[in-house]
Amino acid sequence: MQIKQALTKIVGAENVSDDPEALLSYSKDCSLSTPRAPNYVARPKNTDEVQKVVKLANESRIPVVPCSSGIHFYGNTIPNLGGIMLDLGRMNRILEFDLYNKMVRVEPGVTWGQLQSEAPKHKMMGLGPLLPHPLKSVLTSHLEREPMLIPKFEYAGSMVTIEAVLPDGEVFRTGSACVPGFPDKSLAEGVNPGGPGYLSYNWLLQGAQGTMGVVTWAKVKLAPRPKIDKTFFIPFEQLEDAAQLVYNVQRRMIGEECLILNSVNLAAILTKKWPQDYDNLRRILAPWTVILVSGGGWRRPEERIEYEEDGLREAANELHIPELPTSLPSLPGIERDLPGMLRNAWPEKKTYWKFASQGACQDVFFYTTLNRASEFVSVMSQVAAENGYCIDDIGFYVQPMEYGRSCHFECNFPYNPGNPDDVAMIYNLHAEAAEAAIDMGGYFSRPYGVVADMVYDRAASYTTALKKVKQLFDPNNIMSPGRLCF
Amino acid sequence: MLKVEEYKHQAETCVRCSYCKFVDLNWVKSSRFSRQCPIDTRYRFNLYSAHGLLHSALAELSGKLEFTPKLMDALWHCTLCGGCDTKCKRNLDVEVLQVIETLRCRCVEQGKGPLPEHKMLADNVKSSHNIYGADPKERLNWLPPDIKPAKKADILYFVGDPMSYRWPELAQATAKILGKAGAKFMVLEDEWSSGHELFATGQLAPAKEMADHNTKAIKDSGAKTVITSDAECYKTLKVDYPKIMEKSTEDMPYTVLHITEYIDQLMQDGKFKFNRRVPMKVTYHDPCNLGRLAEPWYHWEPKYEPPNIAVGKTWRRGEKGVYEPPRNILKGIRGLELIEMERIWDNAWCCGYGGGVGTAFPDFALWTAGERIEEAITTGAEAIVSSCPHCKDILGRAADANNTGIKVYDITEVMLRAIR
Amino acid sequence: MSIPREAYQTLQSIVGPEWVSDDPAICEADRYCSLSSPSDEQRRPGCSIEPASTEEVQAIVKVANRYKIPYVCTSTFYSAGTYARKDDSILIDLKRMNEIEIDEKNLYAIVGPGVAFSALQADLLKRGLITFVPGCGGNSSVLANTVNMGDAPIGWRYGLGYQRLLGVEWVLPDGEMLKMGSLSMSDDYFWGEGPGPDLRGLLRGCAGHQSRLGIVTKIGVKIFPFVSEELEPMGWAFHSFMKLPPNRFKWYNIRFYSREDAINAMFEIGRSEIGLVVMTVPPIFRSVARTRGVGCGGFWEAWKENGPKIKPNQEDLRVLLYGIGSDKRLEYEEKVLLDIVKDFGGSPREAPCRDETNFMAADAICANVVGGRFSSEVSYESINQAVRYSRVVNEITEKYKPRILEDYGTTNWVCPYELGYIAKMECLRMSSVENRDALDKWHDDVHKFCATGGGSTIFPEDEIFGPVWGNYPEKEAKIRALFDPNHVSAPQ
Repeated sequence: MQIKQALTKIVGAENVSDDPEALLSYSKDCSLSTPRAPNYVARPKNTDEVQKVVKLANESRIPVVPCSSGIHFYGNTIPNLGGIMLDLGRMNRILEFDLYNKMVRVEPGVTWGQLQSEAPKHKMMGLGPLLPHPLKSVLTSHLEREPMLIPKFEYAGSMVTIEAVLPDGEVFRTGSACVPGFPDKSLAEGVNPGGPGYLSYNWLLQGAQGTMGVVTWAKVKLAPRPKIDKTFFIPFEQLEDAAQLVYNVQRRMIGEECLILNSVNLAAILTKKWPQDYDNLRRILAPWTVILVSGGGWRRPEERIEYEEDGLREAANELHIPELPTSLPSLPGIERDLPGMLRNAWPEKKTYWKFASQGACQDVFFYTTLNRASEFVSVMSQVAAENGYCIDDIGFYVQPMEYGRSCHFECNFPYNPGNPDDVAMIYNLHAEAAEAAIDMGGYFSRPYGVVADMVYDRAASYTTALKKVKQLFDPNNIMSPGRLCF
Repeated sequence: MLKVEEYKHQAETCVRCSYCKFVDLNWVKSSRFSRQCPIDTRYRFNLYSAHGLLHSALAELSGKLEFTPKLMDALWHCTLCGGCDTKCKRNLDVEVLQVIETLRCRCVEQGKGPLPEHKMLADNVKSSHNIYGADPKERLNWLPPDIKPAKKADILYFVGDPMSYRWPELAQATAKILGKAGAKFMVLEDEWSSGHELFATGQLAPAKEMADHNTKAIKDSGAKTVITSDAECYKTLKVDYPKIMEKSTEDMPYTVLHITEYIDQLMQDGKFKFNRRVPMKVTYHDPCNLGRLAEPWYHWEPKYEPPNIAVGKTWRRGEKGVYEPPRNILKGIRGLELIEMERIWDNAWCCGYGGGVGTAFPDFALWTAGERIEEAITTGAEAIVSSCPHCKDILGRAADANNTGIKVYDITEVMLRAIR
Repeated sequence: MSIPREAYQTLQSIVGPEWVSDDPAICEADRYCSLSSPSDEQRRPGCSIEPASTEEVQAIVKVANRYKIPYVCTSTFYSAGTYARKDDSILIDLKRMNEIEIDEKNLYAIVGPGVAFSALQADLLKRGLITFVPGCGGNSSVLANTVNMGDAPIGWRYGLGYQRLLGVEWVLPDGEMLKMGSLSMSDDYFWGEGPGPDLRGLLRGCAGHQSRLGIVTKIGVKIFPFVSEELEPMGWAFHSFMKLPPNRFKWYNIRFYSREDAINAMFEIGRSEIGLVVMTVPPIFRSVARTRGVGCGGFWEAWKENGPKIKPNQEDLRVLLYGIGSDKRLEYEEKVLLDIVKDFGGSPREAPCRDETNFMAADAICANVVGGRFSSEVSYESINQAVRYSRVVNEITEKYKPRILEDYGTTNWVCPYELGYIAKMECLRMSSVENRDALDKWHDDVHKFCATGGGSTIFPEDEIFGPVWGNYPEKEAKIRALFDPNHVSAPQ
């Protein structure tokens, strides 16, 4: 009871709960992680309250697990060892649109739905992952280093500075945001990510799944929203050929959004009427489609699209690709709508695209290089088949990164959550697919759930060093214990 | 040899940026051939580089360092190729080479140097006026009966020890080319060693004797123009002699021309043309002594104004060497195709022989030459051509040692083949 | 005092007697690092050793730990701060570790510490690829520069140096190995972060540790698409340049008569996403760069003539347009640039299509040739902050004249990266040798303002910045104690 009282004192009674029903909603998410409810939930409204809760947790040696928004996919907010659930949903302010620096400063509760509807008012757009769930936290996406759709290198390192409450309760700002008086009473504008000093705290806090501290705001990059666009949908029978085109295009440094989807995922995204449209689309779409949006940018948009189109044609000619379609069969107007879709969250009123076909979905994702992507398709399909999963139902998404330096490779396994056999099968399939990918050199830079064990067992030297650092920052292991290798 | 104050000032100006170790950075064309300094490339410790030697010079001067075995080793392995010097003058304008030469002189003055092999050169010169200790009466043995130098002419052919005694065929080629070009020339009856290696090894007293003798002999001959086909002689007569006499090149009683300069000028004036095809793909090796080290010498008494302005100094930054004439000649020969290596002009890689290194450390000289041969081979040329007998010798040995199959020529040999 | 005999013999057995030496001349030549003035703080190492592999580095570091001998590492020796501060240290010179592997398709190179930028760049340009050559020059180490600083004007297009690190192989201070990024799980260097929290954060922040936290022995480093046309070198070493293909590049110098206009134009160029290089050209930097081939005398002659003509509110931008892939793209960029220049009232002038210092060489070293002493302040923050901070720096400078040499109110260098997401501000001030103290005090004053007023310096002094910048030195000390229990990695 003491903890609840203390929490109440910090965040107010209406923002604390130990009601089992209220806690239940935090016990599970869209993943297959073992459910576990927290003992308390606290909903702070500002950094000060976060700091007090974390201090309390540290002094009481009770776990504290931050969560930022209303939807979670990978089990990383499930309180494995109970404790306090720090629900940051109330901290949902867009603190500033910094238009000169093309950035935005957001609290953890700001969702993609929120940001992507605000940004166009400033002729900007958020650099988001593929069609994020509207309730997904912008800050978490950046903190977890989710891949963005535009492979231009200028947009890399999208999280610039952050404010975090460290496990001992210290409020710490990274990079140039550490300067006293930031943001109002200082020359600093918080855009330099390095330091302070000779460590990069941004890096240490990123990918940490709430184990190194609670991030209370972050300044992240935006991109100028192109005035007009032209979208190309280039169909391929083989992923190798699609990958080669992406290499050619990226080497020319052209285009905005650029991604490769298989027919399953593209159909899931574009279907308007379920299920008939979906089945039809899957049938008529090419096995692989490279989607390339040529953006007209800020000035002389038509001319820019013209040279980009020339470049794309040249890239395609080298591979003897005769045509560059700007539409998709039986989807009139899609070329007009798609850029807007990609620069937005998934519509709130529609079932999330990953869940639409069967009700739920498990993802296996990692980094590899584009030239190896097709090997992974074969192996993932083989593992799926061995587990009795229909390989025609696998969604694949290949996201080129940084001019094609590497790619985010994602397999989506839609399944029926209401069928226990399906769930059991998917559970195994997910683990086996991850294992197979790791064996082949797929790199899981943000391992969740069971994958974390596989990764850290192999990355011996990294795991040892990481544990040392964790011990230093969080000697009592109160921050999201049981996560990663902690 | 720099005076102490200037020596210290120059060495202190080094900021240890290591630019001296690289080919001018805009000219780097591959990682494989990006280095400039042979000792740095082979031995790697910083001591084995201009930066290390300049720093040692300061430490030695201030009494913090003696001529330790490693300092001796680094100092005498340096080929004095001057690559470091021209690179430093991109950014810092330090007289790098003069500091290294002065450090050698200080080593000799203190009785720690030179190496026994170098002392032997001085002994030979003393006894017989040539570095080989050969009979001075045999100096003109290279002259075949069909070549008859004039008794009196405006042009004097300065042959040098290597061509007089070791490679007479190159002296003969030179004389024949001059003949074909219609140049009336004489030779010195009493030519002494140019003293090139004595200058390089800090043995200034015997070197000065050579300089004095040859200068007087040239002056007495009445010749106004001295032609040589030996790059070492060229640089010594043009640079080292006025330097030791504290004069400028223009104040010497003669003008020195390399055979390639002379013939090139005739070609430019329309007075000479090669008339035989030489079907061959060649690459050209710039000898250090004809290239970046061959700029005229400008005597200067150090005088500075704050913060560091050298008043009245004419700089030698490497651009006034003899680079174009040999190339013009090769390009002027029908059938011959010239393909350049990566490191050329003021960025040329040394053949490895210079600075007394060929005499004292033949293995290292061969290694350095081997690097150049490898570079030449990457061009696809059948032959590498140079304008210095020692370059030809060491490059030829390196080519043979590795069975590379690439041929090595002196430019006089190529020129002769192109004349009917 | 010297290195214990047994330890020295062990070192000999690790690398072979040819590659370790305690000869005083070898050690003295490794004493002073580049750029900084020789001082007593810089000690002659007890021995110098040149390992050829990571295994050898590891073995050396373990010996140093066993015998509690301090060590410090260096590579191409164009280094900032990596010198022995303790007597009888082991100087580990990594320049023999100079392997380069290039993955052309996937845009990364794997390099050892001995690889200089010029070497890697030359191999890349032939393949239509490019890496950064930092302001200090192509003679610096790719690895050392990337883990320490890593910026160059082409960062306008290709981002911040700090983001270029991929897989990292790191011998920790106690000799244990840490492999990061994709390398942590395989032999592949292609991806840098994680797994999970990104321990590259231990390696560098605003700058790196300069050997104070072990030795990085190999990194994967990002490389970038570039034009396939040749950049042909021309000219003598002291005045060399590269001819740029005119169908791919065009330089513009643009004069603005109000600083505000220049800065707003810069923002707009960023939003329009054009150019390979965009920066201001402060008169003092331009004059220093032109010192090549004319020496100290030439600089002062020109500066005394041109300095008084500086108009304080005038700002010159230099923009390199970039037609990668097509002539049409270059035409597009030119049209957009000229539109912007017109909108902001600038006067554009096309400059020769060549480059002296951005692709291979650089000219920072030239600052030394002007004689006397110089000091610079480098800060990374926004374009706006750069301008405002620069103003403060100029005000501080006024207090120190004439002991700080006349700068005629020159503006400072603003060099933005990533299309303007971040910008570097650099200023340069000179004094005579005798007035070096004034320069030091000026720098102290600048940093005192910087710490509390909103600068973002690249090399903060712990005692000035620590207390107001989140007590970062305490955190660093804890990290060092954790990974360097014997306090042997370049102790201060």
